[in-house]
Amino acid sequence: MPSWQDFQPFLVTGLALGGVYALSGVGLVVLYQATGVVYLAFGAVGAMGALIAWSMISDGIADWICWLVCLLFSGAVTLAYGIVFGPLLAKREPLVKATATLGLLLVLFGAMDLLWTTSGGETRAITLPTDNSGFSIAQIQVTWTQVIGLGVGVVIAAGTAAFLRYTKLGTAMRAMANDREITATLGVPVRRVEAAAWLGCGVLAGIAGLLLADMVALDATTLTFLVISSLAAALIARLRSIALTFVAAIVVGVVQNMLVPINAVSNYNDMTPFVLAAIALLVLSRRQVLSRSREDT
Amino acid sequence: MLETTEVAASTRHRTRLRRPATRTLVRGGVIVVLLLFALLALPQLLSLYYVDAMTEVAIYAVVSLGLGVLVGRVGLVSLGQIAVLAVGAWVAARLLFATTQPYPLVLLEAGLVTMAIGTIIGLPALRLRGLYLALITLMVAGAVAIVLASTNFPNGGHGFFGYNGSLVNIPPIRRPSIATSDPAYYRYAVVVAILMFLLVFVHIRTRPGRAWSAIRQSEPAALAAGINTTMYKLWAFALASFVTGVAGGVYAGAAHYLYSIDFPAQNSIILLAVVLMGGAYSLWGAVVAGLLSQLLPALLNNWGVSNDWLTILFGIGVVQVLTTAPRGLADQVPKDLARLGLLLARLVHRPAATTAEGEAP
Repeated sequence: MPSWQDFQPFLVTGLALGGVYALSGVGLVVLYQATGVVYLAFGAVGAMGALIAWSMISDGIADWICWLVCLLFSGAVTLAYGIVFGPLLAKREPLVKATATLGLLLVLFGAMDLLWTTSGGETRAITLPTDNSGFSIAQIQVTWTQVIGLGVGVVIAAGTAAFLRYTKLGTAMRAMANDREITATLGVPVRRVEAAAWLGCGVLAGIAGLLLADMVALDATTLTFLVISSLAAALIARLRSIALTFVAAIVVGVVQNMLVPINAVSNYNDMTPFVLAAIALLVLSRRQVLSRSREDT
Repeated sequence: MLETTEVAASTRHRTRLRRPATRTLVRGGVIVVLLLFALLALPQLLSLYYVDAMTEVAIYAVVSLGLGVLVGRVGLVSLGQIAVLAVGAWVAARLLFATTQPYPLVLLEAGLVTMAIGTIIGLPALRLRGLYLALITLMVAGAVAIVLASTNFPNGGHGFFGYNGSLVNIPPIRRPSIATSDPAYYRYAVVVAILMFLLVFVHIRTRPGRAWSAIRQSEPAALAAGINTTMYKLWAFALASFVTGVAGGVYAGAAHYLYSIDFPAQNSIILLAVVLMGGAYSLWGAVVAGLLSQLLPALLNNWGVSNDWLTILFGIGVVQVLTTAPRGLADQVPKDLARLGLLLARLVHRPAATTAEGEAP
């Protein structure tokens, strides 16, 4: 069994990764609440944004412009999808809505593979300027990127919770989570509220894409399917509670990384999100809470 | 679940065309002719490259068939069928290296083991429905992919996993002695596929099929009608896993060497896309899905076009199917052709067309 010393660096990376999972999870939960869509193309949109940013950085364009383009791209693609297909599929079951986003995932995935081929074996990386500077707490090295990862997660989770609670738009979103038809009857501009949720989710996908490209790898497949890990946190929170999503994301991130130094399971540490989500779902379904989800309405 | 009712229109259309008995006969005849063509003529006509591609088509038609049972018959969406295929291939490869059993027996065992694993995973997952079940299968597929990447596929080594990383001369996974050449193995794969289609056909036409369609339309109603919904859903899972496991066994022999990168996560999603595009509600849809997912890439490869275009096309296709044509190509194309035929007929016989229009309801 490795000593505590061995675990320390992985605690830090775990917290940072957990922060990014949290921000992705929050984006997914808010969109699901407002529109009933589980946005499975979340990772793909972020990945494409990050790849575009990488190409622009390689061309010598100032970094901050590239990051902004990444966020704009993710936001624009997500918003466009939401505006076109949201209303078309609004009355269908959540399963159909989620499956349709797989279409977007495939389109983006194909495009990424086409435009940024990996056959040459070249590796790409986005390095944020915060990677190389940092500080140490109790002899653990911490980079500013890791601080940003956790910080953004905390800020987004808290900010979103406050936004949903105190603003007019947030209240409208919560109302739509309960019933789209009644909300529309009350005079809430349903389409506009949904568009706002799509845009917000897309921008979060861009942020997550950039951070994960730096922390994990800038690779279309990896980033596209990291959405599954983020989704795990959202699923543990039953796609409802922001606070629970945040906690679950941090736990998933930390556990996933803390398993790395343990030799017996280090190969399997990436299974953490899946296993935790599966256990959580099964335990929750035991209490039959899922049967009262939107699907029955 | 993914269905809208166009049944009324299509039945009206059918009865007007021909009487049912003749129709069944014609349909049976067409199927027999097609099968004979696929079995006897096709391997003679095609180059070895396309024979291999058609073997893959036969394998993936069966995989699509399994997913079609889940999606089209019961309304359960699985995003992890490629992981199930990988499990089937793994089991078959392990058995083929470890034993000298005849190939059909190995296929049967691979199917049964995969069925057992699928059922064990399916049992707790069946408490979940719709969206949550789909997402859980996505997670399970991710987990299986990680396990396979770490254990690797058997390559003739010893021990439970049968993998030896330092092996220099890796022996190929054997094929049945009657089908060692590629064309012969293609025929073998087609025969296995036919058997699997028959197995599913029998299920659909008997009690389980009726129970499944009741569950698909409304689970509470099915429950109220005295259908053991849990058992029949599990049955569907078992059947789908079985046929997919058998397909995995056929795949192991076709590929000779197995690597975990042959079963990437995106393939499960592409599979769902082609099954939805092909049409999850008919058995023909599974054949169409097999052609879409395996023959098209081979064709494009031959023409020097990147397969990524196909991925993009499938992405557009799945959205299109979900928004406008929920019953897929297998249903849509004949209808469109009939409509086109009618249109052409009207153009040719203009005066006759007016009377036909008068009769139309």
